[in-house]
Amino acid sequence: MTLLIKCMYLPFSFYSRMVSPAIALAFVPLLLTLIIKYRYYFVLFYRAVLVRIWKDCVTGLSREERAFQYVLTNSTPGDPDSILDAFDYWCSKVEFISNIGPKKGKILDRLLLEQSPLTVLELGAHCGYSTVRIARALPLGARLYSIEMDQGNAAIAEKIIRLAGFDDDTVELIVNPSDEVIPRLRSDYNLERLDFVFMDHWKKCYLPDLQLLEEYGLLGKGSMIVADNMLFPGAPKFLRYLRKCGLYEWKIHRAMLEYSRGIRDGMAELIYQGIK
Amino acid sequence: PRPSHFSPGDEDFQENHERQKHKGKRRNGDRPKNKRENQRRKRSSNSEPETSEESEDEEEVNNDGEVRPELLSPEELEKLKEAVDEKKKLIQSLRGKPWPMKQKLVTLRESQLFVEKYEGALGKGKGRKLYAYKVMMTKKWKKFQRDFENFKTACIPWEMKIKEIESHFGSSVASYFIFLRWMYGINMILFGLTFGLVMVPEALMGRPYGSIPRKTVPRAEEAGAMDFAVLWDFGGYAQYSVLFYGYYNNQRAIGWFKFRMPLSYFLVGVGTVAYSYMVVIRTMARNANESGVGDDNSFNFSWKMFTSWDYLIGNPETADNKFASITTSFKEAILEEQESRKDDNIHLTRFLRVLANFLVLCCLAGSGYLIYFVVRRSQKFALDGLENHTWWERNEVNMVMSLLGMFCPMLFDVISALENYHPRVALQWQLGRIFALFLGNLYTFIIALMDAINLKRKEEKVVKYNITMWEASLYNGTGSENSTAPPVTIHPADVPRGPCWETMVGQEFVRLIISDTMTTYITLLIGDFLRAVLVRFLNHCWCWDLEAGFPSYSEFDVSGNVLGLIFNQGMIWMGAFYAPCLPALNLLRLHVSMYLQCWAVMCCNVPQERVFKASGSNNFYMAMLLVILFLSTLPAIYTIVTIPPSFDCGPFSGKNRMFDVIQETLESDFPAWFSKVFSYASNPGLVLPFILLMVLAIYYLQSTSKSYREANVELKNKLQMVTQRLDNFVFLTSYGSDFILNA
Repeated sequence: MTLLIKCMYLPFSFYSRMVSPAIALAFVPLLLTLIIKYRYYFVLFYRAVLVRIWKDCVTGLSREERAFQYVLTNSTPGDPDSILDAFDYWCSKVEFISNIGPKKGKILDRLLLEQSPLTVLELGAHCGYSTVRIARALPLGARLYSIEMDQGNAAIAEKIIRLAGFDDDTVELIVNPSDEVIPRLRSDYNLERLDFVFMDHWKKCYLPDLQLLEEYGLLGKGSMIVADNMLFPGAPKFLRYLRKCGLYEWKIHRAMLEYSRGIRDGMAELIYQGIK
Repeated sequence: PRPSHFSPGDEDFQENHERQKHKGKRRNGDRPKNKRENQRRKRSSNSEPETSEESEDEEEVNNDGEVRPELLSPEELEKLKEAVDEKKKLIQSLRGKPWPMKQKLVTLRESQLFVEKYEGALGKGKGRKLYAYKVMMTKKWKKFQRDFENFKTACIPWEMKIKEIESHFGSSVASYFIFLRWMYGINMILFGLTFGLVMVPEALMGRPYGSIPRKTVPRAEEAGAMDFAVLWDFGGYAQYSVLFYGYYNNQRAIGWFKFRMPLSYFLVGVGTVAYSYMVVIRTMARNANESGVGDDNSFNFSWKMFTSWDYLIGNPETADNKFASITTSFKEAILEEQESRKDDNIHLTRFLRVLANFLVLCCLAGSGYLIYFVVRRSQKFALDGLENHTWWERNEVNMVMSLLGMFCPMLFDVISALENYHPRVALQWQLGRIFALFLGNLYTFIIALMDAINLKRKEEKVVKYNITMWEASLYNGTGSENSTAPPVTIHPADVPRGPCWETMVGQEFVRLIISDTMTTYITLLIGDFLRAVLVRFLNHCWCWDLEAGFPSYSEFDVSGNVLGLIFNQGMIWMGAFYAPCLPALNLLRLHVSMYLQCWAVMCCNVPQERVFKASGSNNFYMAMLLVILFLSTLPAIYTIVTIPPSFDCGPFSGKNRMFDVIQETLESDFPAWFSKVFSYASNPGLVLPFILLMVLAIYYLQSTSKSYREANVELKNKLQMVTQRLDNFVFLTSYGSDFILNA
């Protein structure tokens, strides 16, 4: 913070008088420290923002379309594992898309295996990575409803899901914003109770959607909700609500952010206890 | 080091302490007991005529269990005495018994009643009253002692504050505040010495301001002497006051009871150092006794399992953190155990460690060079005249030292991530590096000061010459009378003055301390408070979670703060001889720091994620304090011994060396034989053998302590072997029979 104040002073003093180079040199350790400590954030910024802008300008395709091209050419149709591997390779080596990633994905797989849900809701399919991941771990006869707001992303997700070999019985993709779909889940889709909910859409929508789910009675006792990106970028209102309301048994699984080392992230696992 | 509230083995005390805390009443047992004593005495005095009537050999027990000891035969008296002794022994050993609490309390009360009832009755005949009286007096005395202990504990300043912080943040953060409080105590004594024996006598009994040249602001500086800027820099009226060395007059005895001012000044200077050494070494010895248990290399996981929890935590968030940190430390210990067996890639680790040390050395060298460069520049500025330069340029040295002191430790922290040490070892390396940094900075500063002192001394010669010329011109001007020249009345402010390097040194130290304090407080306010305000109030409208992610609330940096405190104290020790106001300033600073930091910790900080025990580091900090004490008194002693004092200011002006005052006192104030004895005692022929003897004693003590330690280790090993053999024996006897039967 002293750096900020100093930075405000320096331009003034350069105009009026010469600032000693020694004081400026004394700030070099601070700069070095900041650069070294937050190097992973700088790397992430470079990959997620700068490379993306560059590639957008050069190729003219959107990021998801580029990912789809790659997955199409480098994976085996009908084999979800190879699709996921191709995605992981592309996201870690070529560009960055914020899928759930292999490490957090393993936690998700484990939770799914424990819970063995029959009705799963996914908010925010994006490219379809997490959809394929969840569908892979579902038991027989289970059904996954995936909600995606953006048309372009939804088109790509649909293609990927069908490429992975999941048909309409297992996965249904709904293209609408989640706050419009959730009230109509019971009426239009005949859902009584959701056993598992996976949230990976906009972080500021976590809390409203959770409250909508509660309001429409789609959660029963023992329903599990998994919310991604609890620490980076973080969903503070959601966490605050969790701590206060007392309707859930919750814990945070700590892991690393997808496709990067050194940035911590977490997934929240909530189990609905029901109103007492 | 926590103050001990209880004297061990004093059972009643604990109960009564608790009762007093909760109910605020006096000991309940006291009143009825006294009543019972009085009753007994009354009845015994009444019963005397009665017993002559009733001559029964057995004890006559009343409705409330009164015993008439005259009725008892000697054997029964003997048995009663034994019973009372047994009960007393039971009370003493009750703590160690493995009984449930309720049973212990009931037994305690029964035994106490028994002892009360029959103890007073044990004295025989007339001596019984005296005995009962003695017993009552011992009880009253014990009670008084306990009350006094309670009072002493209640008088310990800031105890509740520190307890509250401990419950929220754990023992390592609280240990910083306990250290601060201990420092405050030391500074209080130093302040008492300098204020009471140096500043107050000169102010009350010495010549007042304006009477002699050294006590007056020179005419040239008078115009700006009251300006705030000048006063903040400790010039002007602040410079010509009891705060600095230069004000003191070299008159040998002042006031109506002939207070020896120069002697007192010198002895207070020596006394502060001696007192500090004594206190630090005594605390180190006490800490060494307390620690040393539990850091075994064997049974690592058992120790962690049973002794990790901190029972003083009173806050849910801290408890969660402590729980998480214990889990993490278990994971780490398991990893370490695995890795110590794997032992691969040691070359890479070694290379990385060497690289990290090299980078740290580069940083230290860079900072040392920067300070040297800045100091040289400031000397150039001083030669040009300080008025031509901006505030930044005048205070460059202080700014650069403070900034480097703030930023380089962060860099060291980041570099140490390369080294991959255990956190406690990494912390010690970190502390060692910060220590080296501060020391380098301080010594560069001192070398710069030495240059300035030499400059001033050269100036002195020139000024002496000028003064003689000026005086000569003055006398020539008034008249040609030689022997009865009337004293020329010149205002003290107009007399030309010699340079005063001691005051300059004192001023530099005071300025350094002030700038250090200001930097610390501003960093605290901005780095902790402003950050917390921003995180709390911007979190609603920011894209990522500020509390969990990037800035988040700051943690309290225990080691950085402790080191800052230690170095601050080092600077005080260095400068206290030349600026008697330094202990007072430091006292004020510590007082403000205590309140400010307590508030800042509770308001802006979150408990640390990695919480580890502070007890191991206590002696480490004391050792550093001792080293700093030694290193900071070294320059002061060097200047006292080698540099002659200024001729025109201070209590030693006119002498050849400052310590000549001792010689002078011995000659004039003590009888002749004393100085002869002293001269014999300070004879090198006597001093050298004495030093040799002390060295031999140290060597002997060192070797005996080593042999004791080895004996300890051997005993531990033997104990392990014996327990193993016992286990094997138990195993064999319980299962071996099965083997034999089934085989």
